[in-house]
Amino acid sequence: MEKNPYVPMPVNVDKIITEVTTKDIKTFRFSFVNKEDEESFAYLPGQFAELSLFGKGESPIGIASSPTDKGYVEFTVQKAGVVTSELHSLEEGTLMGIRGPLGNTWPLDYLEGKNVVVVGGGFAFTTLRSLTNYMLYEENRPRFGKITVVYGAREPGLLLYKDELALWEKRDDIDMHVTVDKGDADWKGREGFVPAVCKEVAPSSENAVALICGPPIMIRFTLPEFFNLGFSKENIYTSLEMRMKCGIGKCGRCNVGSKYVCKDGPVFSLAELDELTPEY
Amino acid sequence: METRLIKKELLPGLIKGLAEDTLVYAPVQEEDDVFFRVLEKDMEPLAEFGNAKNAPKNFFFPQAETMMRFMKKERGSELERVPGDFPEAVLFGVRPCDARSFVLLDFVFDDPKYRDPYYMERREKTTIVSLACVHPPYSTCFCTSMGGHPFSSDGADVLLVDMGDDWLAECITDKGEKLLEKLGDLPKADDEVLARKEEMAKQAAAEITTSVPGKEIKPWLDENFDHPFWDSVHVGCLACGTCTYLCPTCHCFDITDEAKDSEGRRIRSWDSCMYWLFTRETSGHNPRPSQKERWRQRFMHKFKYFVDNYDAIACVGCGRCVRYCPVNIDIRKIAQDIAKL
Repeated sequence: MEKNPYVPMPVNVDKIITEVTTKDIKTFRFSFVNKEDEESFAYLPGQFAELSLFGKGESPIGIASSPTDKGYVEFTVQKAGVVTSELHSLEEGTLMGIRGPLGNTWPLDYLEGKNVVVVGGGFAFTTLRSLTNYMLYEENRPRFGKITVVYGAREPGLLLYKDELALWEKRDDIDMHVTVDKGDADWKGREGFVPAVCKEVAPSSENAVALICGPPIMIRFTLPEFFNLGFSKENIYTSLEMRMKCGIGKCGRCNVGSKYVCKDGPVFSLAELDELTPEY
Repeated sequence: METRLIKKELLPGLIKGLAEDTLVYAPVQEEDDVFFRVLEKDMEPLAEFGNAKNAPKNFFFPQAETMMRFMKKERGSELERVPGDFPEAVLFGVRPCDARSFVLLDFVFDDPKYRDPYYMERREKTTIVSLACVHPPYSTCFCTSMGGHPFSSDGADVLLVDMGDDWLAECITDKGEKLLEKLGDLPKADDEVLARKEEMAKQAAAEITTSVPGKEIKPWLDENFDHPFWDSVHVGCLACGTCTYLCPTCHCFDITDEAKDSEGRRIRSWDSCMYWLFTRETSGHNPRPSQKERWRQRFMHKFKYFVDNYDAIACVGCGRCVRYCPVNIDIRKIAQDIAKL
């Protein structure tokens, strides 16, 4: 029988990691209950899924793990509404559902052979983390040029994936710039806002693509820096968020102009966004 | 294409007979209005009426339907059952505008990547009998402007035309053919009847005098998302959603969960882009913050976005939103005003 795209696949909550000192952002690691579901959940960085809690509803969340991570899939979720609050109260070993993968991906084919600049702010680093791990994977690494990462948070306790960032810092095939707006007594890293750090790092726009995710205020001040560096709108990508329900382009909720963020996005280039209405 | 004749007085009986062993949806009189209903034993199907107040889309896409049931278990809730195996059905008495709406809804629900199983199973198992509008019933009818016709067979399996003493039945599809076989041995229509029908079709179309611009205004819509015209269109709109609920082509929906004790269900119900909550995000951000943006969305979706995606206007010209809007916002007039800009 044809697969019902609304029915979630059962997953086990294997691991819950509290990412930040404010405790309102957690990473959930799931494994599929059924082997065939794991196979059908073939995803690429940039895609999302509906996390499904029967009795509460569903929430569309970007996939934070990389397809090169086998046997599990991870989502980093901020506690905000009904579904995410319930998620945050779960314990390891709970059974729940996920539905996906949904949406398009970071422009992987286009990135091939190019230098890639990854810019993230605060919580908006989840699918960029997926992409970075994907590119750093041994078999994939030669497909991409220089990888530069600028990742910032308000304070050290709000940086996600700290252990992983430390591992990336040790590698010589990725240029890491982790920054915080304001450090604390233990912070030995860089201080400064993401736009300023981008200006200082000044990645070349030559054969390069920038992928930028973050709060609107960060994006607003970061984009001019990239335009100054010579990045065209065709070579700057971001990922949109919208209220969603079905995730498959039918319920009408995430309609922006002639596109649906759920099935035509969430990843768009700035040039593509210019073609849309500004209703996101 | 098979054509048959059904004696005028026999039709209601044939439909009632059909309803004895088949699920039949038909227009029935309820006080001052006509509604599509599931035809029960004591109900009389109408064949002569204007149009039903509700569009028949709810038989494929119910106003509220259970998508799945779940049960709370020790380690979390588990899926229990997904409804399906819907019965074969006949949808009788659909006006050509409403029948065309199914062709438009199919674009959305029969998308090759994600077919909607609930809509599609009902759609595939239902035979649609349309009734041509020999005299288009309302001054608000404008199907001819939206690519339709009072005698259109788009979306129909059988088209019935009132020829005076008989109904002329045209089989449009195999499904329609099978249905007519079930109705018994019916005489074939001769060429004289068919020629007369062609003449009546021309006459019927000529009776619709309202002209509403459709694809003609698309170039303006492409360029004028921010035009001051949109500042006043919505004035008066109560955000009641009547237009979207009665619209045969509106398909936006919500998905919500309902649970009591250890059982629950996930439900899909109609939603409306006219409501502020439709796009409001958990953060409080709302991409369409006022009725102005929401009204523009409804119009743009029908006359631009749908055209971009499927090369068809998402309006069939049934006129329901015009007739039933409590503050008399008139989509025809908006399109006409745009054409003058």
